[in-house]
Amino acid sequence: MLLLDYQNVLIESLLRERFQGGAPTSIDQVVSDFDGVTFHISTPESKTKILVSIHVKCYAELVQYGAQAVLEREYGPYIVAPESGYDFSVQVDLENLPEDQEGKEDLVRRISLLKRNAMAAPFEQAFDEFLHLQEEASKYTSESAPQGVKEGGEVCAIHYREEEAIYIKASYDRVTVIFSTVFREETDRIFGKVFLQEFVDARRRAIQNAPQVMFRNDPPLELQGIPGVDTSGSADIGYITFVLFPRHLTKQRREEVISHIQTFRDYFHYHIKASKAYIHSRMRKRTADFLQVLRRARPEAEEKERKTASGRTFKVQS
Amino acid sequence: MASQTPAVVMDNGTGYSKLGFAGNDSPSFVFPTAIASKAPAGGAGGSGSGRPAVANKPSFLTGGAGPGGHLHAKRGTEDLDFFIGDEALSAAAGPGYGIHYPIRHGQIDNWDLMERFWSNSIFKYLRVEPEDHHFLLTEPPMNPPENRENTAEIMFESFNCAGLYIAVQAVLALAASWTSSKVHDRSLTGTVIDSGAGVTHVIPVAEGYVIGSSIKSVPIAGRDITNFVQSLLRDRGEPDSSLQTAERIKEEFCYVSPDIVKEFSRYDREPDYFKKHTVNHPNGKSVQVDVGYERFLAPEIFFNPEIYSSDFLTPLPNIVDTVIQSSPIDVRRGLYKNIVLSGGSTLYKDFGRRLQRDIRHLVDARIKASEARSGGAKSGGLDVQVITHKRQRHGPWFGGSLLGQTPEFKSYCHTKAEYDEIGPSIVRRFALLGGPGST
Repeated sequence: MLLLDYQNVLIESLLRERFQGGAPTSIDQVVSDFDGVTFHISTPESKTKILVSIHVKCYAELVQYGAQAVLEREYGPYIVAPESGYDFSVQVDLENLPEDQEGKEDLVRRISLLKRNAMAAPFEQAFDEFLHLQEEASKYTSESAPQGVKEGGEVCAIHYREEEAIYIKASYDRVTVIFSTVFREETDRIFGKVFLQEFVDARRRAIQNAPQVMFRNDPPLELQGIPGVDTSGSADIGYITFVLFPRHLTKQRREEVISHIQTFRDYFHYHIKASKAYIHSRMRKRTADFLQVLRRARPEAEEKERKTASGRTFKVQS
Repeated sequence: MASQTPAVVMDNGTGYSKLGFAGNDSPSFVFPTAIASKAPAGGAGGSGSGRPAVANKPSFLTGGAGPGGHLHAKRGTEDLDFFIGDEALSAAAGPGYGIHYPIRHGQIDNWDLMERFWSNSIFKYLRVEPEDHHFLLTEPPMNPPENRENTAEIMFESFNCAGLYIAVQAVLALAASWTSSKVHDRSLTGTVIDSGAGVTHVIPVAEGYVIGSSIKSVPIAGRDITNFVQSLLRDRGEPDSSLQTAERIKEEFCYVSPDIVKEFSRYDREPDYFKKHTVNHPNGKSVQVDVGYERFLAPEIFFNPEIYSSDFLTPLPNIVDTVIQSSPIDVRRGLYKNIVLSGGSTLYKDFGRRLQRDIRHLVDARIKASEARSGGAKSGGLDVQVITHKRQRHGPWFGGSLLGQTPEFKSYCHTKAEYDEIGPSIVRRFALLGGPGST
């Protein structure tokens, strides 16, 4: 598994089983997803009505960036009033499903992408803003552009974890996405650094079309003056900047780009952990090899003078 | 962040792994503890198992040419090319992948594979950041402390999990029985009968601690029952006697009868007892299989093993009685009073009732004999009670979920900071969760 899935596997498998005519039974599960997202899957009224609720830590911020519109577009008729303690709920009635197989699959896919869609709003907003700014900018030459167009839009901050945030900023020729990430562990920091260096190098070596990636410990210029940004430049915090160019922002690529970039933090941490697992397996292998050498290297049995209890020795009679 | 998120409960058994979050009443995922990777099954896969691959020279002397030297050649992302669970089974059916079972006899056998198995369970299935969650893992009774340390090393050093608690499966199964209406005091004393696919264990637990010297295992479990049903179907010449059919029949129709002789005659008098099972083949055809005496004969092999095997002949009730008799005398009363069932092979209807009756017979006979020998002394009697409850199938997992959601669970865990301070040996001891003093 190189890339993490975007959808929640539990919701996907559960709905798929039910949609294909699995016996309706009551469900009541509270499950977590990455970044402190909590889902509640339940059948509160009857066994055929499945309610899926999501709790996102930064939902207020997401709404501010237009999450409601995105979710309404995706889930339209399935939206119900949010369950108490959760931010957003959808309900599907097993007796009232789309007729064809494709429609069912599509519904399963959409509901299992609930987290992705909720988090997608600020990206979509930024991408739209980019298109708008691009149009504006085409009217001017680079020197004569008015202030608002040249600088680009506001920075959207999404505090999706307690100490970490995503910042998105649209300008007329690119969209910048900045992740702040915290490493508590010395080892992780080193792994992370190597890993990020690979990202930077990959672009230099082979994949020219990839977005530009930069990594630094102090906040990049884009984040100057944003409240809540740690400016101490301590080594624990890293800022990873992705620069998305117009070719990444075309209509066809958009969905994929949003999905990819959202999972970046988890992807990054997953790979740090997977690398550690790999190194551990090499360490175990090497230890087993050394132990084998040690077992073979047995000292040769020395001829010892043998004595009886009273101290007399045996002499070999010649 | 780890303070608000639900704890992750993982019960990795020989056959199946049960994964989920504390507070739920059933695991989110149940799949085989299997991992399919690119290397061929068996052979040189033994690295890290404590038994190095047999090479004439260690591989670093031969320049990585020996068997198992493949690790050094890996420079890409081959180590991520594997599947776990049901996906592993289907991947192994195709070419290129070999299947491995990292847990043997309840204990982790191959740590490399187990580490990757966990990694995929956490990131692909549960989808959690381990740094944000506490983990509750299970271990079999009599697990060597070294295995616990290895587990802790992986959980803390690879995954940086926020906190870890390792509980004994039998103790969790006792905790799961607290949901039964028959249980009034939440004690951790009792006898656990844990019957899964491969083997049945009878484990006495006193105050949350396993009495290791008295554990007995019975080589009869789910798989044997399936085989027995299959052989009965074959003897009768049924149109379909595959293992899957036998398993379906076992799960759908079998129950425990109070007396086989009476049951036989009842079947002969009332043909309603004979059932029909329809097997739908993938090619669209369907055949009918008659289901007859195996309905009650199959689970009977627990009580009369001689109808199935010729080398193991002690009935389960006798084993339970021996186990309790070999335990310290001051806990025996508690052990008889709280016999808890756990695992898929204890789900047959009336299994608990039959077991309770048979054990009570044994106990009563012994009391009677000793009363006769003592010449007139009267015994106060002994209470035998077998507890059946709704969560039996995933008993240990459910017990873990129950204990993992309690507010004090997190204070029982060892945290990453404590691990860094003391080292792996910290997990040799855990305060007893759910024991006296906690709610």
